[in-house]
Amino acid sequence: MGVIGYGLGVIGAGLGIGLAAYGYTTSTARQPEMQGTLFTGFILASAFVEALALIGFVVALVVK
Amino acid sequence: MDIILGIFNALPEMVNELVSSFLSTPIRGDLIFGYTQYTFWLFVAVALLVVVFAVFVKKQSASLVPQGRFVNAVEFVVEYTRDNMVKAVVGKTWRTHFPFIATLFFFILVNNIVGIIPGCHPGTGTISVTAALAIVAFIYFIYVGIKKHGVLGYLKTFTHGLKGPMAAPIWLIELFSTFLRLITLAVRLFCNMFAGHIVMGTFAILTSVFAQQILTFAEQGAAAIAASGVSVVWELILIIIYAVELMVAVIQAFVFALLTAVYVQTSEEEI
Repeated sequence: MGVIGYGLGVIGAGLGIGLAAYGYTTSTARQPEMQGTLFTGFILASAFVEALALIGFVVALVVK
Repeated sequence: MDIILGIFNALPEMVNELVSSFLSTPIRGDLIFGYTQYTFWLFVAVALLVVVFAVFVKKQSASLVPQGRFVNAVEFVVEYTRDNMVKAVVGKTWRTHFPFIATLFFFILVNNIVGIIPGCHPGTGTISVTAALAIVAFIYFIYVGIKKHGVLGYLKTFTHGLKGPMAAPIWLIELFSTFLRLITLAVRLFCNMFAGHIVMGTFAILTSVFAQQILTFAEQGAAAIAASGVSVVWELILIIIYAVELMVAVIQAFVFALLTAVYVQTSEEEI
């Protein structure tokens, strides 16, 4: 059950990281000179999103 | 077919064993007055960091222009930290906050990278260490805010200059989210390290379990050879995940220090 719950939970995180990467790539294509600043923002945003998925992963492993 | 079934029946137990091997176990003494495998590798990482920087300072002061790969590499990392993390986020007062944020960054970085070496444990792989780091960062940015605005002034900045009836709920939410930072900082770093090592460990288990089929089921011939052939695929996935974990080790150190810089900036900003 925990594994199924984790699988469902990670859908949101996948969508979130996908959206962040989409925004990062399209805006880099439009304004390549902003790449450095955008990358910092992208890493920050994906760290926020990824943390949720990882919390799910650890909870699925630890809580039986 | 029974080979595959046998493998997948044995797998959950082995993964459970793997997870329980990540619990803090004291090597000397007990959990309070002693050191666990995590604290041991934490001290190893700190010793490594001290040695690297001692050598760096000695080599760098030898000549005016940085020479050699080592000096240039360390200088690049330090300058990247200074320009992209502290100067870009904190702004004018970066000089006072650079030592603290850079220390956090290098401490976490060296711990994560030592942890990625097979056989070693990351010092940051236990919630106790990451919680301690988060508490240090938390106290630091609260201290910076109080030093800048005074206690009441700092509490007032939580409304972000909002006036009127909405100020009270916004203040409460901001107060809550400030304390939430403590938890998210600690849990993010811990979960990244823990989950990464669990995933790598699982694939290592898969590799070894599939590879040993050729010894235990040798009489079944082709099936056993096929099963051990699959272990090559697991090994390849393990190598890819290892590369990703190497990246995660750097990115998580970066994120922790960057978030601390962001929090310092928010507690320092004028309303």
